[in-house]
Amino acid sequence: MIKRSKTFKGGYIFQRYLSNPLDTLLEQGIPEKVIIPLAQGFGSEVKLLVKKGDKVSAGQIIGRDDENVSSPVHSSVFGTVEEIKRMNYFKRELEMVVIRADKTQKDYLRVEGFNPDWAKLRQEELEKILYLSGVTALDREGIPTRFKSSVIPPSGVENIIVHGVGSEPYNISLELLLNGKKILNLIDGLRILNTIMPGANMYLALNSRKQKLLEEINKIAVKYKWLKVVPLEPKYPQGYDEMLIPTLLNQRFPYGYSAANIGVVVLNIQAVLSVYEAVCEGKPLIERIIALCGPGLKEPLHVKARIGTPLGEIITPRLNEKLKSRIVLNSLMTGVKLNDLTLPISRTFSHLIAIPEGDKREFLAFMRPGLRQQSYSHTFASSLLPFFNKTADTNLHGEERPCISCSYCEEVCPVGIIPHLLSKYIKRNMIDETLMNYNIFNCIECGLCTFVCPSKIPLLQHLKEGKDKLTMQGCDHAQCILPYFDMKGIEEYRGVTKL
Amino acid sequence: MQLVKNILDSLHNASQKNKLLGMFKPVLNAIDGFFFGTPHVTSIPHIVDPLDIKRFMSFVIIALIPAVLGAIYAWGLRVIAVIIVSYLFGGLIEVAFAIARKKEVHEGFLVTGLIFPLILPPNVPLWVVAIGVMFGVLFGKEVFGGTGRNIFNPAIAGRIFLTIAFPQIMSVKWPLPFTSGLGGFVHYQNSVDAVTSATPLALFKTQMLLTPYTQLFFGQGTGCIGETFRIGLILGGLFLILLKIVDWRIPFAYLFSVAAFSFLGNQFLHTHFAPPLFQLLSGGLLLGAFFMATDPVTSPFTKQGRWIAGVSLGVLTVLIRGLSGYVEGVMFSILLLNVFGPLIDLLVLKVRYRKKIVTAQK
Ligand code: SF4
Ligand code: SF4
Repeated sequence: MIKRSKTFKGGYIFQRYLSNPLDTLLEQGIPEKVIIPLAQGFGSEVKLLVKKGDKVSAGQIIGRDDENVSSPVHSSVFGTVEEIKRMNYFKRELEMVVIRADKTQKDYLRVEGFNPDWAKLRQEELEKILYLSGVTALDREGIPTRFKSSVIPPSGVENIIVHGVGSEPYNISLELLLNGKKILNLIDGLRILNTIMPGANMYLALNSRKQKLLEEINKIAVKYKWLKVVPLEPKYPQGYDEMLIPTLLNQRFPYGYSAANIGVVVLNIQAVLSVYEAVCEGKPLIERIIALCGPGLKEPLHVKARIGTPLGEIITPRLNEKLKSRIVLNSLMTGVKLNDLTLPISRTFSHLIAIPEGDKREFLAFMRPGLRQQSYSHTFASSLLPFFNKTADTNLHGEERPCISCSYCEEVCPVGIIPHLLSKYIKRNMIDETLMNYNIFNCIECGLCTFVCPSKIPLLQHLKEGKDKLTMQGCDHAQCILPYFDMKGIEEYRGVTKL
Repeated sequence: MQLVKNILDSLHNASQKNKLLGMFKPVLNAIDGFFFGTPHVTSIPHIVDPLDIKRFMSFVIIALIPAVLGAIYAWGLRVIAVIIVSYLFGGLIEVAFAIARKKEVHEGFLVTGLIFPLILPPNVPLWVVAIGVMFGVLFGKEVFGGTGRNIFNPAIAGRIFLTIAFPQIMSVKWPLPFTSGLGGFVHYQNSVDAVTSATPLALFKTQMLLTPYTQLFFGQGTGCIGETFRIGLILGGLFLILLKIVDWRIPFAYLFSVAAFSFLGNQFLHTHFAPPLFQLLSGGLLLGAFFMATDPVTSPFTKQGRWIAGVSLGVLTVLIRGLSGYVEGVMFSILLLNVFGPLIDLLVLKVRYRKKIVTAQK
């Protein structure tokens, strides 16, 4: 049943940006060598099973740890282990396996026990396939199985939310992920998850502006009573767990903890498709579809790349050489800037965004009509003519000024806190319980407040600073959450969304 | 463009060598930023809204243009002289403080400098304008630490100061406006001895006379420079609301409560309270409601606070107009609400965040 699209208070709907990825998918092919981090996605670092000089196959498990919360890691190519080294990978010191690839072999080993007719498999077998394929490490808290792949067991799950809302400035194309037969695969993936977690309600949340897709999916979904298809406005940050849960389940979110702690599993579309591929095709998680977007590229599109492929190999040849671009991982609002392009891609990558570095000055910048400007206010011509795609660059578009209390930041804040007030307290170094009372720990760091501020105040940065200082003084977010929630999951992992 | 760049570059060099000139660095930087924008880049988030304070303030000025044109038509080219004096002397104070604080010159003054002349009587002597604007910027804003920290709206502070210091000049002689032909566009000012008349509000107060509404609407009545061309003010105000530059709550609540309370007052005490439409269209109400009560810095920032402020402004204005010795109450009400704004916010926050905790414990 399609219901009226639900939404939340605050937030901001981004109009379409220039250079959203086209619906084409290219094969990146097998790289010269791959670098495979031993912790990818949700889970702690796994124990190495190979040594230097070993021959490995694509799909072979090269790291596994059944004691701790984790999922196995595979080699993504056929080849020889060239080196094992520890290096810094996104702020974590990790063991990395460097494998020189045999470029002629494009195949991979299937996961043991897979079956195209998955209904014949028992629940335990399904869980095992998912675990062995590494799919269980996807998304913020992984997929629960009896193999310690998440912090809660499958029986502890009350709700599953699968979403493809696409509320970010740049989004992977749903039409591409779900073209042709893939819709059926998605539904099968959902049914597999339902078999593993039979007690849970399942919500499939999709972008309410993709009517065609919604109708198609709905035609199939009506057959399943446990499945609800919900259209959602693509309002940023709707795709966050913190927003999906209040909107869909009318439940409060334990800010600072993870959805799993209240018995909810949140997955995205690509993860569910991987579930299907693992169970029915025996495909281990060795490939990702990555959306390459942004005006810094010659042509925005999607590529399918083996995990461990160095970033540079994917993106450098596709960059527009005339522009100096900044490359950002996954999200323009919250993603990290990628400076070192020798780093490999991991299971968590879904978008690579290149936008021109806006360090050039513009003559009379503030007087431009702004046909292609994305603005919260309606002071640009783009408000009258919304069908022009918007440009994106990293210029600050103005000098930092004192706060004028325009309240834009309060209006957009999705969790209803008052960023400018908190920022003033923090800047005056008034760090005490008042901040906690004003719910500073509810901030989900979506960055919208900084985005809209006409005075260009880095509010998000101030808020982070404030949280850190408060924590140092012994005020913890646990104090705001634990008394009010009945938390599930393994105690020591509580509040950890990235292991 | 290249020319501006060259001039600025040479000035920059000069200011680096010469100590005295170096003091004017903030001014140079302001001009530089005005023409060329910023080279700074974002951190996280990687993209930001292109709206900045310069554009924000420019739109307030654009919204005032109809009212200014109407004022020039009604009162003659002298209005331009008044505006220039206001910008010049107010700017002086602003720059002096920027230099003393070694901070940049902020854009907020561009709006103050234009609104201030609009709330003065048409034949105000230029030296009074200079004194008023300097007082307003100095004590309304700079003593609190500059833009963003001020409690009072500087234009109103200046105006109230003048009312108290020079009551004669500020309230007695009201010239008649030009009403035909090219009017003020070709005259410096209406001849000094032209018949003067009281403002519509004063006429009501003393003689219970109601000025016709069309006269009020199209700026053919007497009054302060910028407040009489009301159709222009309404258009400007709606423009700002549509662009999200000002919040609709304050003007709406303000005007609505003026209408409601003057209706009540008029029912029971029609000798003191003028009927609603007349109240809405007379005095400085529209200018105040759309352009001054909405000044984000000095009005409450919470939504509920804005409703409270709007309604209280309306009540105060009607009461002052009806029951006090003063003819007009808009400026005083806004000044008063400027004082209580932070308190209103504090109360609203108290209520809002206490409620949260109660629901959380359930
Ligand atoms: S970053 Fe935090 S404070 Fe800012 S809008 Fe997002 S949730 Fe609100
Ligand atoms: S958006 Fe910026 S200027 Fe406006 S209230 Fe928030 S911090 Fe202040």
